[in-house]
Amino acid sequence: MFLKVGIPKGLLYYKYKPFFNTFFEELGAEIIESPDTNKDILDLGSTLCTDEACLPIKVFHGHVEKIKDKCDLILIPRIMQIYKREFICPKFCGIPEMIENNIEDLPIITKAPIYLFSSDKFFKWAYETGKILTKNFFKIQKAFERAQNEQKKFKEGINDKGYALKVALIGHTYNIYDTFINMNVKNKLNKLGVGVITHEVVDDNVKYLEIKKLFKRPFWTFAREYYGFISYALKESLIDGIVYLSSFACGIDSVIVELIKLDFKNVPFLLLKIDEHTGEAGFDTRIEAFVDMLSRRKRGNLA
Amino acid sequence: MGNVYIAAKFLMDGLGIDYVIPPLNSKRALEIGTLYSPEEICLPFKIMMGNYIESIEKGADTVILTGSCGPCRFGEYAELQMKILKKLGKNLDFIVFDLPSDIGFDELKRRIDKIALKSPKNKKEKVLALLDAYKIINLIDSLETKAKYKAGYEKEKGECKRLLNECKKEVLKTNNPKEAISILKEYHRRIDNLKIDKSKNPIKVAIIGEIYTIIEPFSNLYIEDKLMDMGVSTKRTLSPSWWVYNTVLLSPLKLTARKIRKSAKEYLPIGIGGHGQECVGEAILSYKEGFDGAIQIFPLGCMPEIVSKSILPSISKDKDFPILSLVVDEMTGEAGYQTRIEAFIDLLERRRRYVLSRS
Repeated sequence: MFLKVGIPKGLLYYKYKPFFNTFFEELGAEIIESPDTNKDILDLGSTLCTDEACLPIKVFHGHVEKIKDKCDLILIPRIMQIYKREFICPKFCGIPEMIENNIEDLPIITKAPIYLFSSDKFFKWAYETGKILTKNFFKIQKAFERAQNEQKKFKEGINDKGYALKVALIGHTYNIYDTFINMNVKNKLNKLGVGVITHEVVDDNVKYLEIKKLFKRPFWTFAREYYGFISYALKESLIDGIVYLSSFACGIDSVIVELIKLDFKNVPFLLLKIDEHTGEAGFDTRIEAFVDMLSRRKRGNLA
Repeated sequence: MGNVYIAAKFLMDGLGIDYVIPPLNSKRALEIGTLYSPEEICLPFKIMMGNYIESIEKGADTVILTGSCGPCRFGEYAELQMKILKKLGKNLDFIVFDLPSDIGFDELKRRIDKIALKSPKNKKEKVLALLDAYKIINLIDSLETKAKYKAGYEKEKGECKRLLNECKKEVLKTNNPKEAISILKEYHRRIDNLKIDKSKNPIKVAIIGEIYTIIEPFSNLYIEDKLMDMGVSTKRTLSPSWWVYNTVLLSPLKLTARKIRKSAKEYLPIGIGGHGQECVGEAILSYKEGFDGAIQIFPLGCMPEIVSKSILPSISKDKDFPILSLVVDEMTGEAGYQTRIEAFIDLLERRRRYVLSRS
């Protein structure tokens, strides 16, 4: 059977694209990716989705709407947990239901839950999904292994070198790598002579050590990663400041931002909120002002 | 939080521990809470912050809080609240109850001991005090359920509401748990003997949604009182006693809210944290039980409820069952809110008259 599989470029696509692309290719499907986020997709998403949802969820709706007529199966990853005893956002766990109820005339969508912390559990998803494409168990198994290897090779993270100033760019993968919704903030910073480092650069084990000083073990993967990274980067003086890219009404960010602000008081911190109405001019001004402040601080410290 | 404070008061009475009841939630508590809370956190956090600070003003030095481990934001409350209060220079002792699977049994025992050691009573009395408190919360919740259901049938308008308020006032006067139980039983009798008009066929509405905002009347602008005034019968499954029963007693056995979860299966097969699945399940259950409609309430930005909110319209369409979603935060204006509720009730009444829906 020859199927067209649609992959929406939203949410954790940026993190797991090697896996999903390889997996479906190996199973002999044709892959149809949605285009990079654009105004059209954003508008579609905002109309279709529940008003209260956050920007990334709306954008994801837009991507699905855009490709739903072109394919037979759409990948809607219901990622439940990435690490053991940790969670990600509850909206991810309910995303297939949201899509199903907000968008009409859908092709088949994948609904099986994904638990990434164990290969066995993850394979369950692969089998459930692979069944739609082929009846051959071994083919699925092979595709799954290949895809996992492909994912392992994938190096994420940004670590700019050769800039006078350096900031930690914190935010969810789908906010940082989607250059449309963040208005290419990395480029903006680079142009102003500021290098960027993201949390993937620092090893997970280091982050685990850093979060030990919290009263309670953070149960969100994102919270642990960002907090641990900042804590480590400051200790090693890797960064001059923090730029936090957050989507409006993000429940997880509301907590992490506050934690970082309370625990690391004397670090320059810029919080950039993005939503469907964000104006680029105001965004630029805030970044410029922040960079000015950073360079003045640096000069002051040297003198 | 709802009626929890009543049970907690008698638990402390029974244990002989000194306590402070924060003043009932008010505009002031909310304002203080909002001032010191992160901007985008949900409403319960802000109200709780307000409560803490008002209690500190009255001399409290320890906060007892339950915790959880995700994926809903509630689990991170303790960490943030501790830090914020510290920044404000208030030195408080936080005692947080978490699942033993997360902090280990020893830690849990240590935390329980921290409270238990403050009590001058012996072990047997402590257990008895705990049982009494559990009894009290069950009694008061079932009293409320009765009153709210009967509100639609009462002969003398406002009788149910009056009895309920009187009972709460009466019960808080005493410091003896046993006495409190007998007062509550007395009011149960009175409600049972209330004159009702069985021929009435009132509009019946289920209240569903996020647990804090539906059980704390201040946060939902007293929606149940408003509905009682309109002569509407209401039902709400989620209550403090429901929570204790399902979360503390049943969750180790993974039996939590089976009936509700089973009903939700068709629309939301997997638990998504918070009470998202319960919300969907209850909507379906209340349809099956012959209710006229349901009202969903949740705080702005509540993650699990956003998922259920996108599912509810489909249920509404499939089953021809009206559902109103209300979002509350510190900015909610009462007038607009009232109008929406009235319009919804009007709609339900008209449906009955003209559409001759099932009855």
